[in-house]
Amino acid sequence: MASFVAGVDVGSLCTKTVILNSNGSIVSYNIIRSGSFYKGAAETSYTSALKKAGLQPDDIDYIVSTGYGRTRVPFRDVELTEIFCHARGAKKFFPEVQTIIDIGGQDSKVIHVNDNGDPIRFVMNDKCAAGTGRFLEVMAAGLGVELDEMSELASRAQKEVEVSSMCTVFAESEIISLLADECEKADIAAAIYRAIARRITGLVGQLGLKEKVVMTGGVAKSAGVVHALEERLNTRILVADEPQINGAYGAAQIALEKHLRHYCRSCKKS
Amino acid sequence: MEQKYRLNRLETTRMIGPMVDQHWKELRTAKERGEKVAWCSGPLFIFPYAMGMKCHFMAGYSAYCAGRGAGDQVLEVAEAEGELRETCSYHRMHMGMAAAIKKGIPIKEEVILPLPDLLIIGRLCPEMSHYAEALYRQMGIRVVGIDSPPPRRAEDVLPLEKYFENQIKEVLIPTMEEVCGKPFDYDRMSEILRILKETALLRNECWEYFKCKPSPWTLWDYGVSIAPVFYLMGKPEGIPYYQRLKEELAERAKNKIGAILPEEKYRIYWDGWLPWAFLGKFIRKFVPYGAVPLVGKYPWEFFPHPETIDPEDPLGTFVKQVYSNGGLARANAPEMSLPLLEKWIDEYSLDGLVMFSSKTCRMWNLGHPDIIKRIERSKGIPGVVIEGDMVDSQMISESQIETRLQALFEMIEARRS
Repeated sequence: MASFVAGVDVGSLCTKTVILNSNGSIVSYNIIRSGSFYKGAAETSYTSALKKAGLQPDDIDYIVSTGYGRTRVPFRDVELTEIFCHARGAKKFFPEVQTIIDIGGQDSKVIHVNDNGDPIRFVMNDKCAAGTGRFLEVMAAGLGVELDEMSELASRAQKEVEVSSMCTVFAESEIISLLADECEKADIAAAIYRAIARRITGLVGQLGLKEKVVMTGGVAKSAGVVHALEERLNTRILVADEPQINGAYGAAQIALEKHLRHYCRSCKKS
Repeated sequence: MEQKYRLNRLETTRMIGPMVDQHWKELRTAKERGEKVAWCSGPLFIFPYAMGMKCHFMAGYSAYCAGRGAGDQVLEVAEAEGELRETCSYHRMHMGMAAAIKKGIPIKEEVILPLPDLLIIGRLCPEMSHYAEALYRQMGIRVVGIDSPPPRRAEDVLPLEKYFENQIKEVLIPTMEEVCGKPFDYDRMSEILRILKETALLRNECWEYFKCKPSPWTLWDYGVSIAPVFYLMGKPEGIPYYQRLKEELAERAKNKIGAILPEEKYRIYWDGWLPWAFLGKFIRKFVPYGAVPLVGKYPWEFFPHPETIDPEDPLGTFVKQVYSNGGLARANAPEMSLPLLEKWIDEYSLDGLVMFSSKTCRMWNLGHPDIIKRIERSKGIPGVVIEGDMVDSQMISESQIETRLQALFEMIEARRS
């Protein structure tokens, strides 16, 4: 049976699609900006992933959508929260995981996961953007650097300065003040990462740290954030090669389980 | 979601609207009839009622205001007056309404109340004190503050009950007598308690139907039915209301008809305030999953043991309803509330906890994460914290609430499989 399934994660900032074969291996994935039209983003991301894999829509047996825009995926079979999908994705990538730190575009969460890859408890940030991908984007803009330059910049920090506020607007003002005081951008970048780490440590504290810890979401690509968190939590953090697709990957893994269950039932009936 | 669920509304709860409207209408027109008016927080409105005053109740007013589509309008007036957006939305609601009256700022006429002759503050939280002080500064309205500190241990109950009683005897009643120019009417208080007892006994019989599977009603139905045992206290109409409600619930239970159709899937405990202004919005987030909010500590805590009410000892029995025989002061006491919740999880076959954290009432939400942890350890059921507000729509992020609720249902489902 040549069978394929897909997971589509429509996040507030980026939409990701992962296609798996029947062995659970990734055959293609895609990441695009979500923009303001989630349905369109889901269709574009999915179509691109299909094309990359050389597949047609009819080749896909089951689709699970997840993320902020999970209900805006008309071609889905099932929608599940990103909490569930990140748990399953991280478990598949790192079977020893017990704690997941997911920092996405507009929310951050900490999830405890059991041996089956099911979330057993979680906490999320409240409704402000503090400590999220969006926060980092605004801070990078405030510093006048590209987001992917920030980690390297922070690694050159010499002096400890402080960004105390986690309100995105106030923190941006603090950065402008620090720049006006001629603080080095590298020192400020490191301070931003420490501020995020402080925030996430609070969330981790609410659940308790259970090793091994995996970080997922787009912000996990930032070595500066991961490093600041490792220092703050005093633990090593595992990060997949492409942490941003973890939610879509988890969704695809669930799609595969559901499809196989359905397939087995059908076989028994026939 | 393959299964389509729908809410099966009760007929009886439709009767509550006219009763509530009549209350607010009588309050609005009280001064025209030369009646005295009190504003009240906590359960203390029995005292102005006993004196024949018309009385408003903070949470009730806020719900009413929001129900009339005036909530945001009144909150905007408060904000323009310099009230901080992060402070108690009940406080802001009243400051906004008072400012609108004082300055002639147009708000919906039906939510304008007469300014009171007396403000009675049951200081369950510090913001109620600030609210009273702010109204005193702005309007010069006489204020009486009555403390009802929550006991921490069972041994604390009696001394705190005595302290509560002394304040009523030595401060509240003499003030009421002075404001009304007549002796306190203990006979009327006894009559109110007699009606309250009968009403609340029926209400408790209705509560028992939460044990049924499927449950014939939701906590929201219970919430909208609360006025007769609270700010409509002493009005005899509450008795036939609850009799009819009980009959409707009994009929549903007999025929195994649930509040959620075609079947009930998840039975949920709700902690914290009810989101009065958004009851419809919130229930619509439960129904698509076949989830039903059942029992909740806050709506339970008003006179949970009416069988102990002795109308012949009005003052003594009232203070006991708050302490020894009550729920209001004890509901947040750590050593008393957790065992109660654990008992309910078994009695009502609960599958999960929703801890409603009000953004403008942080004090009441401090223990939520550790309660979830404790319950998960002792009972093995998951819980989530969702954030919102009782009345302020600015404090609600729908998608965040939806994600947290859906994740809760997914966690319950995962444990079942």
